[in-house]
Amino acid sequence: MTPIVEGRGLTRTFPMPSGAVTALRDVSFQMAPAEYIAITGPSGCGKSTLLHLLGCVDAPTSGSLLFEGRDVARLSESDRSRIRLTRVGFVFQRFFLLPMLDAWENVELPQAEMGAGLAARRARTRELLDYVGLADRARHRPSQLSGGEMQRVAIARALANRPALLLADEPTGELDEDTGEQIADLFDRVHADGTAIVVVTHNPVLARRAKRHLVMKRGALGADR
Amino acid sequence: MGPAARTIISLGVGGLVTAVIIGSTLVTSSVAQDNPPGVSAPQVLLSRQLLREADVRVGDLVTVAADADGSRGVSFRVVGVYEPTPDPRKFSAQRLEARLHLPDLMALTEEAADPASADAVSAINLALVDRGNADGVGAAIARRVPGTRVASTEPSADPNDLFVVLDRFHWAIAIVTVTGSTAFLLALMVMRAEQRRDIIGILRLMGVSSRSILFEVLLEGLLIAVAGALFGVLLAVASQGAINRFFQWRFDTTLVFVRVTAAIAWKAVAFAVPLGVAAGLAASWTLLRRSVVSLVGR
Amino acid sequence: MTSRALAWRTAAAEPARAALAIAGVAVIGALLFDMLMLSQGLLVSFREMLDTSGYDVRVVASDVFPARVDLTNASEVAADIARLPEVRQVTIVRTDRAVVLVPGRAPTDVALLNLSPGAERQGWRIVDGADLGALGPQESAAPAVISRQLSRALGLSPGSPLPLRALASGAASALPIVGFTVVGIADFQFENDGPYVLATTFEAFQRARASVSSDTADVILVASRPSIDASATVAAIAGRRRDVHAFSNEQIVERFNENGFAYFRQISFVLSTITLGFAFLLVATLLTVAVNQRLGQVAALRALGVSRRRIASTLVWESALLVGTGGLLSLPLGWILALGLDRILRDMPNIPDALHFFVFEPRLALWHLALLAATGLAAAVYPVWVATRLPIAATLRFETVS
Repeated sequence: MTPIVEGRGLTRTFPMPSGAVTALRDVSFQMAPAEYIAITGPSGCGKSTLLHLLGCVDAPTSGSLLFEGRDVARLSESDRSRIRLTRVGFVFQRFFLLPMLDAWENVELPQAEMGAGLAARRARTRELLDYVGLADRARHRPSQLSGGEMQRVAIARALANRPALLLADEPTGELDEDTGEQIADLFDRVHADGTAIVVVTHNPVLARRAKRHLVMKRGALGADR
Repeated sequence: MGPAARTIISLGVGGLVTAVIIGSTLVTSSVAQDNPPGVSAPQVLLSRQLLREADVRVGDLVTVAADADGSRGVSFRVVGVYEPTPDPRKFSAQRLEARLHLPDLMALTEEAADPASADAVSAINLALVDRGNADGVGAAIARRVPGTRVASTEPSADPNDLFVVLDRFHWAIAIVTVTGSTAFLLALMVMRAEQRRDIIGILRLMGVSSRSILFEVLLEGLLIAVAGALFGVLLAVASQGAINRFFQWRFDTTLVFVRVTAAIAWKAVAFAVPLGVAAGLAASWTLLRRSVVSLVGR
Repeated sequence: MTSRALAWRTAAAEPARAALAIAGVAVIGALLFDMLMLSQGLLVSFREMLDTSGYDVRVVASDVFPARVDLTNASEVAADIARLPEVRQVTIVRTDRAVVLVPGRAPTDVALLNLSPGAERQGWRIVDGADLGALGPQESAAPAVISRQLSRALGLSPGSPLPLRALASGAASALPIVGFTVVGIADFQFENDGPYVLATTFEAFQRARASVSSDTADVILVASRPSIDASATVAAIAGRRRDVHAFSNEQIVERFNENGFAYFRQISFVLSTITLGFAFLLVATLLTVAVNQRLGQVAALRALGVSRRRIASTLVWESALLVGTGGLLSLPLGWILALGLDRILRDMPNIPDALHFFVFEPRLALWHLALLAATGLAAAVYPVWVATRLPIAATLRFETVS
């Protein structure tokens, strides 16, 4: 079975005025379809950097990255953008919902970008808002939602185009413990429905839900726990 | 070898020549040469533009005629070239002019049928002992010589004077421009204030009073407004050179079209600074009146 | 959701900012529209003023227009020109400067005017009283038809006596006062030297100037036959009379355009350019600040797979909404502003009533909108570049940490 993501010798260095900073050092990583992986580690160890590389949001300074067998380095930006739209879903710590759109419109946006028809978009959006338990808040704007509700809308948005891989960067970072549990439950459902998940988190509850737990330290990936 | 004799036929044709009556003491030319020995042609000064247009050099002999058909032409020696006094009323006209001694011009233009034409001039310029008494002198002249028009060279107080009207026009344009830019300034200030909503909320939570925050906003607005106003003045000073050079080249004149004076710079600063401060205050005012909870809440 | 809808929602989410930006564009756009009107307004108005006078050729003594010397033997020249097959009508125009001396009022400068008999209907329109010829031959006072402005300024009405002294330029003497009687008040139809005009008969005109024997005139107006082009008439006159110079209306307009109107052409060009540059800077600044405020959102959308093209088109639509709405509002605003500016400029001396500086032409509105549209597009270039080229990962990181 082709791994959904395979990285070999991934290194990412950031040039800084005070000297280059190596966020990732020679990281090799492989993920099967429908796997659920949690990555933990201290702040600044490179977790988010690795996530960005996996999601084709950033490019490694050296090393190779294959996404569903395709060498990401050989792809154009529009191809990488297409992968992000159709094969990857992102969930952010700060939600990043568009404040001028309501929940329904936020979830609908990636589908419109992909060119889905109106009827298909409506059906899918309704389905997703039901899925995350916010069908009755569809016409509420982010300013009218709680933190947990906003994150659920963000998850629904990330799942809009049925991605193969869901990447979550500290999804419970701005939420309380109970709300974090709810998000963790949601991720369990998403995983059970066949979507691969990589979650970067400080939350031990969330980390325990994953089937693989990787620890990062100073840009290097440790052994599975 | 003397300078080649050039003949200019009928400088009066096409209205190319405006003969300006002056006495020799008012010559402001560059180089003036004495007549070479044995040559008795009267002297003429040509404007720089005419010299170039007629392809004539200093020292050349030219023929000057007041009649359109060139009859009754008189030979003159070009003894110098001068830069015409810039005249804003004639800035787009080609300054093809010549200056003759008064007796020569009067002899050139007199009409045999009109004895009075030998003693006719267009204007007489006066330099007064008491410059503040222009009106009194004008009235006295009008009494002695009825029908004479007397005008002071001081800027006119007549609201319908050409330049007074143009001044009003420019002010109107300036007011419109400032109004438009004020709208944009307010828009930017509103955006800026909204951007800092969280910070203001946090400060208020910490106990910093609205007055202190207002003072900070005021101070910041003042610094930005002063810097912006000074930058604007510098930009105007820098661009006035470019504008003047362009239009002086375009119209072949030495007229100064734009001049940023100290008074104008002060006016601009005096206008811009309060406007900038007021815009910042106005934009921040609504934020400062909101409750702390609404500032830090989503 | 389309880019246009997204742009609209973005603008509607910040109504104060959007309203202020649109107001700014409207005001600056109004100024731009006015400068476009000014660039050709005087020319268009002048041409219209000449054309509606009913004459298409003007004959003067010199080859510059306006002429500085008088036409001599004007009657003979006019009669000769009238015999040309191309010519339908000829009118001699004589003007001079005079001062009216109404008791109890300050001396008032007026333009003294005389037209060939029969041409009065084209020269002025009586609004009160009667035309020249109303006074019988037994009257000693000369008849005068005066302009409305003069009658208002001096409180004159038909029947009012009007002492007048013509001004003799270049002569160290004063002409005697001549008594006139106002017979009518009129609106003068074509170009005049100021608002105060007094028209009279040839005999009275000569008497005022104490030049009974001279037959000089300022200009001879010629109307071509309907099927004849003005240029043909000009050529015919040039062929018949070498001592005069004929100009068609088009030639006169061209000469004024080169000299007299240069200031307004230049200022309209300069201000149009500055206004466009101003609008560009302001809209670009506004959009750039707006993009900088939303970098996190933009980065998140890019991370979700929204294309650069979509981001770019949304921003272009935002610019189009601001500039387009402001541009449409600027048309009526510009028209109102033009009325005020025109009134200011018409205070200048010697501006005929029929002459306007700001003249609306439909093509100018199209030019105006096209220029604003181009400016809006250009203003969006930098913010689009910022939004589409931002480093997604670094921006996400920064927005999360800050």
